[in-house]
Amino acid sequence: MQGDRCLAHIPDGFLSAPVIAGAAVLSAAALAVAVRRSQSRLGEQEAPILGAATAFVFAAQMLNFPLGAGTSAHLLGGVLVATLVGPSVAILVLFSVLLVQALLFQDGGIAALGANTLNVAVIAVVGGYGSYRWLLALVGMGTRRMIASAAAGAYVSVVLVGIAVAIELALSGTLPLVPSLVAIGGIHLLVGLGEAALTAAILAMLMRAQPELLRRESPPPPVRRKWVYAVTAVSMLLAVTAVYAASARPDALEAASRRLGLGESVASYFQSPFADYTAQIGGAWIAAAGGVMVVFAVGFGLTKMIVRTRRNP
Amino acid sequence: MANLIEITDLAYRYPDGTPAIDGISLSVESGDRVAILGPIGAGKSTLLLHLNGLLLAQSGSVTVDGMKVTGETVREVRRRVGLVFQDPDDQLFLPTLLEDVAFGPLNEGKAPREAAARAHGVLADLGLAGSEGRAAHHLSGGQKRLAALATVLVSRPRVLVLDEPTGNLDAEGRAKLVRLLQERDETLVVATHDLEVARALCSRCVVLDRGKIATQGDSARLLDDASFLQQHRLTVPLGDRALRGSTGTRSPKNPHNH
Amino acid sequence: MSFHHLDQYAHIESPITHTPPVVRLLGTVVVAVGAAALPLGAWGHMAVLALLVGLIALLARVPARVMLLRVSGPLAFVVLASTAVLFLVPGQPVFHAGPVVVTDAGLLRFGSAIGRAVVALGAAVILVSTTGFPDLVSAFRDLRLPRVVTTSLGLAYRLLYTLVDEIERIERAARSRNVGAGARRRRQLAVGIAATALTRSFARGERTYRAMLARGYHGEMPSLRTRRVDVNSLIGLGLLTVTVLATTISAYMIR
Repeated sequence: MQGDRCLAHIPDGFLSAPVIAGAAVLSAAALAVAVRRSQSRLGEQEAPILGAATAFVFAAQMLNFPLGAGTSAHLLGGVLVATLVGPSVAILVLFSVLLVQALLFQDGGIAALGANTLNVAVIAVVGGYGSYRWLLALVGMGTRRMIASAAAGAYVSVVLVGIAVAIELALSGTLPLVPSLVAIGGIHLLVGLGEAALTAAILAMLMRAQPELLRRESPPPPVRRKWVYAVTAVSMLLAVTAVYAASARPDALEAASRRLGLGESVASYFQSPFADYTAQIGGAWIAAAGGVMVVFAVGFGLTKMIVRTRRNP
Repeated sequence: MANLIEITDLAYRYPDGTPAIDGISLSVESGDRVAILGPIGAGKSTLLLHLNGLLLAQSGSVTVDGMKVTGETVREVRRRVGLVFQDPDDQLFLPTLLEDVAFGPLNEGKAPREAAARAHGVLADLGLAGSEGRAAHHLSGGQKRLAALATVLVSRPRVLVLDEPTGNLDAEGRAKLVRLLQERDETLVVATHDLEVARALCSRCVVLDRGKIATQGDSARLLDDASFLQQHRLTVPLGDRALRGSTGTRSPKNPHNH
Repeated sequence: MSFHHLDQYAHIESPITHTPPVVRLLGTVVVAVGAAALPLGAWGHMAVLALLVGLIALLARVPARVMLLRVSGPLAFVVLASTAVLFLVPGQPVFHAGPVVVTDAGLLRFGSAIGRAVVALGAAVILVSTTGFPDLVSAFRDLRLPRVVTTSLGLAYRLLYTLVDEIERIERAARSRNVGAGARRRRQLAVGIAATALTRSFARGERTYRAMLARGYHGEMPSLRTRRVDVNSLIGLGLLTVTVLATTISAYMIR
């Protein structure tokens, strides 16, 4: 029975009352925005398209994709659906699926529904689809580029879910932040590969079998490449600064969590390990910059590689 | 009195440019029972979609009950023309039968209480009393057909348009459906390639071939004419290789065209 | 594919099934949230809520066997997921299990997670045993969830059944063609099935949309339900809410 269960769905029992409430409020706000935007996007045909996409995600999440060696992957489907029907519709689809999974399948907790919605429907879709569009703008339009960007976006979405779950567990005082990030984030670094491969494989098959399904998607707005590169550079700089700040002054995080009213016991989990790691490597700046660069290079390289291998199979 | 349905020079091309129907003119009087015959791809379904305004005429016109079918009249037209689709699973899309059947009346603005009462009545008429709260996937194939019919009958349409009503039905279900339809007094337009059903239900046959009306006339006369049926690919004797080989090369012109 | 159980037990007659679905849903949410929000180590309060769930299960005439069976599956997952908590949380070592050290703080969190999960799962199982999918959708409607969500869930319910039928057919056909194939083949098959499921469900959605239009749909999904919530159900729900709230809040006051 556990095989049917999705790792990314937090069951009841792991989250504290403030996290349950906070996540519920945030996801309700995101849903309200999604409702308004999907209406204007699909108009009258909204209901049947949403129904179809919901039924698909439901069925797809039940499918086992064997990876060999007795392991198997599941599809979350957020980025896949978002590339077909747009992010706001995808958010609603994933929320509908989570809602029914929690209430009728005991897959994901009922009280944790807000958190699960925030992770799987909001953060995964917005983050994953955002990365997809951003990569598309970087590498340009085209079938193979689209598939590769979607795969990268799917990977990002799963990793983001892992990070979000880890942070929520840490905020709840269930797990200290660093082990939580390492354990849960680490698992999702692997699980994400499955999501990326499945998203790419399914999209590739769709492009062959039914290209008109994909034509629902509007091409990215004609932004100038220069701007995309500029924004990329600036955001990387910001990321480096943020990582540096976090690693060099772990007490800042502590202070922040105190101000949020999370109390001593929670704040104490945010301590030292950051500083320890950077000290060994030699300079927080270098570590931070290195980390961000590596993450970006791997993502960009993977996209380029997939584009190339798909071009000459 | 004007004809209930009047189609003049109707033509429709798929978005890719292939013609689906190509210059069809047809009139159906009130009380008529017309079978639309023809092989798959002859344009039957496309023609039916025009009757209900799901497709609007690209050229030519369709008039229902004196109203030309356009974007403005389409809701009124749909009230008079009840369309039953080929696959009942497409038509039964709500969680329970009762909701499915009440869907039409509710869209017409009937109060929930009245819509429910009507739905109960129609389901009882069709022998589905007691299944109101059930989901369509718990019904048999024959029951699903009847339920799909009920979703349309409940709005009391003047014309009943059926697309392959006996597809996927066993002999018993087929006989039951035919008996039921024989007792109705709505005007009937049935697309089918089940010739027995056409004979049992309809007094008139219209044969479509490659988007055109190949011929039309009295059911009994046309359906007894074996060579005519073969010519229009309505029956193909099994194992006759010569005939099967010839269908692909046959000229589109034929003597029955008028 | 294990969702055929959904409509299985929704027909047990009981005082609980006589309440409107929206009351059942709210009751479940109240109990689940109340349990999940309990502070760490509030064992007595967890027991009180567990007792309450047991009482409601009795009232709903859900067989104990069904309760245990349905709770145990998801619970096994919770136990599995929370073992990490045992030794990842710093605290006083309690005992050594091989190379890892189980701490008191870890044990506290482990036990609390499982305790809260049992109560919440129990409540969820009562809901699923008394309430079918259509009723749940109508409860969402009564709760004024966004119309798009209730409508698409209503459509998804039927679509899912036809979709799973189709998937099972494809699977059977594919299996009969390559018996005993390796992981690679099976993976390709699964991807093929997923892609087919996607195209089929969108195609079905499109045909459904046509069928809706043909019956006068104009962008507004109508609803039959006008069911009012009766006073008795409201009183029951109120009592339940007060009990759960009192239990959960008192757990915080005592500390």
